[in-house]
Amino acid sequence: MRVSFSSSFRVPFWYVLQPFSDATIMQYVLLIIGAVLVNNFVLTRFLGICPFLGVSKDIPTAGGMGLAVLFVMTCASAVTWLLRATVLEPLGLQYLQTIAFILVIATFVQFVEIALRKSAPALHKALGIYLPLITTNCAVLGVAVLNVQKKFSFFQSVTFGFGAALGFALALLIFAGMRERIERAHPPDAFRGVAIALVTAGLLSLAFMGFAGLVKM
Amino acid sequence: MRAMFRNRGGVHPAYRKWGTAGAPIEALPLPKTLSISLAQHIGVPSKPIAQKGQKVHAGERIAEPGGYVSSAVHAPASGVVKAIEERPAVNGKYALTVVIETDGAMEDHRPDEADWTRLHPKEMVDRVAQAGVIGMGGAGFPTHVKLTPPPGKTIDTLILNGAECEPYLTADHRLMVEDAARVWEGACILRKILGASHLRVAIEDNKPDAIRAMEAAMKGADDGVALVILKTEYPQGAEKQLIYSVLGRQVPSGGLPMDVGALVENVATAVAVREAVVAQRPLLRRVTTVTGPGIRRPRNVLAPVGTPLQDLVDFCGGLTEDTVKIVVGGPMMGVAVATLEAGTAKTTSGLLALTRRVVPQYQSMPCIGCGRCVGACPMGLMPCTLSEHLEAEDYEAAEELNVLDCIECGCCAYECPAARPLVQHMKQGKARVATLRRQRESQAVK
Amino acid sequence: MGLWIPILVIGGTGIVCGAVLAAASRFFAVHEDPRLEALAELLPGINCGACGFAGCSEYARAMLEKGIPVNLCKPGGHETVSRVASFLGVEAVAGERQVALVLCKGDDAAASRSTLYNGLADCAAAELAGGGGKDCRFGCLGLGTCARVCPVGAIEITAGRLAVVHPELCIGCRQCVAACPRRLIKMAPESSLIHVLCNSHDRGPLVRKVCRVGCIACTVCVKLVNEKGIRMKNNLAVVDYEVPLDNDEVVSRCPQHTIERRRLKKTVEV
Repeated sequence: MRVSFSSSFRVPFWYVLQPFSDATIMQYVLLIIGAVLVNNFVLTRFLGICPFLGVSKDIPTAGGMGLAVLFVMTCASAVTWLLRATVLEPLGLQYLQTIAFILVIATFVQFVEIALRKSAPALHKALGIYLPLITTNCAVLGVAVLNVQKKFSFFQSVTFGFGAALGFALALLIFAGMRERIERAHPPDAFRGVAIALVTAGLLSLAFMGFAGLVKM
Repeated sequence: MRAMFRNRGGVHPAYRKWGTAGAPIEALPLPKTLSISLAQHIGVPSKPIAQKGQKVHAGERIAEPGGYVSSAVHAPASGVVKAIEERPAVNGKYALTVVIETDGAMEDHRPDEADWTRLHPKEMVDRVAQAGVIGMGGAGFPTHVKLTPPPGKTIDTLILNGAECEPYLTADHRLMVEDAARVWEGACILRKILGASHLRVAIEDNKPDAIRAMEAAMKGADDGVALVILKTEYPQGAEKQLIYSVLGRQVPSGGLPMDVGALVENVATAVAVREAVVAQRPLLRRVTTVTGPGIRRPRNVLAPVGTPLQDLVDFCGGLTEDTVKIVVGGPMMGVAVATLEAGTAKTTSGLLALTRRVVPQYQSMPCIGCGRCVGACPMGLMPCTLSEHLEAEDYEAAEELNVLDCIECGCCAYECPAARPLVQHMKQGKARVATLRRQRESQAVK
Repeated sequence: MGLWIPILVIGGTGIVCGAVLAAASRFFAVHEDPRLEALAELLPGINCGACGFAGCSEYARAMLEKGIPVNLCKPGGHETVSRVASFLGVEAVAGERQVALVLCKGDDAAASRSTLYNGLADCAAAELAGGGGKDCRFGCLGLGTCARVCPVGAIEITAGRLAVVHPELCIGCRQCVAACPRRLIKMAPESSLIHVLCNSHDRGPLVRKVCRVGCIACTVCVKLVNEKGIRMKNNLAVVDYEVPLDNDEVVSRCPQHTIERRRLKKTVEV
């Protein structure tokens, strides 16, 4: 059986074993800050809007969702990187990337769902349909794909995934806090509900534009 | 000496005391009927012992205490009990009321008989209880209960409350000016009952004549005594605020003044205690300030307990045409009443008639988040957030934000530019949270 | 050969993932009574709390695990109780459907309001502030606290500021009964027809002063039915719903028109 090794991807997979050799810790910190604030997945890249609007009604649920996504994103970016570096790249099967990544993400999401049902049934119930929907959360797939596009190393990928999830959780929590207060305020009838939520989301996004240029990515 | 501590929050409303601050206390001619509510105090309502149709003489007991935290009630004048039924009280609620048709004879004039310095504190507390003395500053907590702290609690400082921070009211002010000697004697009696080493007489600096009068009365007092002059501010006369102003001690959330070794008594209560201890005279009359732009001749009136509000108003020249609101108590914490039939209580320190000019019909608007109420709240609460929670009926969130600490002083509503009924929110919220808490406790017991 | 490699790769990945999930589901297995979901489905699902539990699924769990009686669901009525009973294989006797009834007829046209209440639009708050302007101390304040807690919107506040329950919509959850600060909403069995719509225990002259349709304790109705079905209780005629009563004379002879004939049964749709 002939296996063709791709030449475009130069970094061997055992690079995993040499962390921090060519990137200083500062770079990792900048990577996280960039993913959380400058290029926030929800508010700047507009990925993962569905759970952002769906589970931002109260802070505890939003926090639960943030943690679930944090777990899925970090693990998924690690496993997808490994999958690509060890299996897809060497076999020249990059075109299968999307299917393979979704497979991995779906596994993690299912895992989270099973674990949550056991450990936090109330949260499981509150998240409802939005928990399995993390599978189709474009932010998760987006992280995996961006890792490939930016040619990140393994640790950079994991850091980026972690930072992106942090940014997602941050946006979700801020938005949930705002919506909790808007719930109690009295917007004009025409604005009540989703309308004022969308306006608020837009304003929040505008506010995050203020971070542009903070870190050069 | 000057007070050294400044309270957090507070407001400076227009005090408008000039109408009655110089007016001497005048005795009201005995009204034809007196309706004496049996729920004037905090705690269990009193149990009537007089019968319908019975002839009572002045100072005769007409109701027994209904429990431990309760108080006795006496007939302020002799006459016939016309009815014992539920009638509106000055706080707007219906309560069992004894209606007496008076026959013109006022109270008996029992002479001073006892030298209180020889009496045992227990005996003195007993006399206070017999006389039905309750806190006359407004809350109406039975004084004898307050004077018997549970074992283990010691009270080192007694504060005599002559702050009278509510606008319009001058009843305590005039009492201190005209009757300083009895106020002072009452304070000394209270101090002896409690065994407190320190006594502070606290007066706001907008009452210089009261300060002078009290100073004169206190001449020759020992080192444990001091007169504290407070900078005028509302709600400085509130128990917890006064303790902080005078002593710099903060009563913990949900705690009582005795937790920090202090006890506050109103000047009118001190006089009532003196009368009870020295002459065994029950609490039958009190000074009420009848004032406000709707009253033709504002006065400080010495009236028997149970005087119908209408009689007070008539004595002071009646109401002007444009009067729209009658408030019992001060303008900040008082309660608007629907009828002038109700009889005054032992706690009624003022009767205000307000005209259309000073009672604009506000339209309450949504909170604009300015935070002025937070700055004004003397208890350090967040009335804006609390009222939003209470509007959404989220009582658990309100409890977490310590709604029960609210003293209903009205500073938040006074400051609110959106004219939100914040105090009413708090009152209702406190009632609901207290009920929920009781339910939880009874469930926990089960 | 070129086709097999991708198939094997994706298939292999899938198998690995499946194995991981299988292990996880065994490790995190939740033992749940399969009947629970089916039982919760049988309940109305409006989570009104009338049964005393925090929602329908909690009640279902309580029935399964603690053997709580099956006839506590009030909104579901007879049908639900019998369905639940047959599902669990137990006998259950459902009580008659109960309907909330506001015991006050005094709208603004009939009962006086001599003072202006300018506070919170909430009955409990108004009651604390001295009665919300209504002169009758037992009557409906009409600020809609009951209507706000009603999960099905069965209570209407009329233009005359009076709460009226629409019996065909009422599910009998008793939320309004608990919410009313004046305690003037009572439950009546749906078969009952004659109702005394007043809750005032004041003496007749006092009632007449503040309300045109309040019970003045004249005892005409009580004498008509010979104390069977209506009795005097502290200056108020009170219907005893245990006794079936269908007497139009009571309605026509009431001098204050306090007594009304009102059908509470759901109208049958044709």
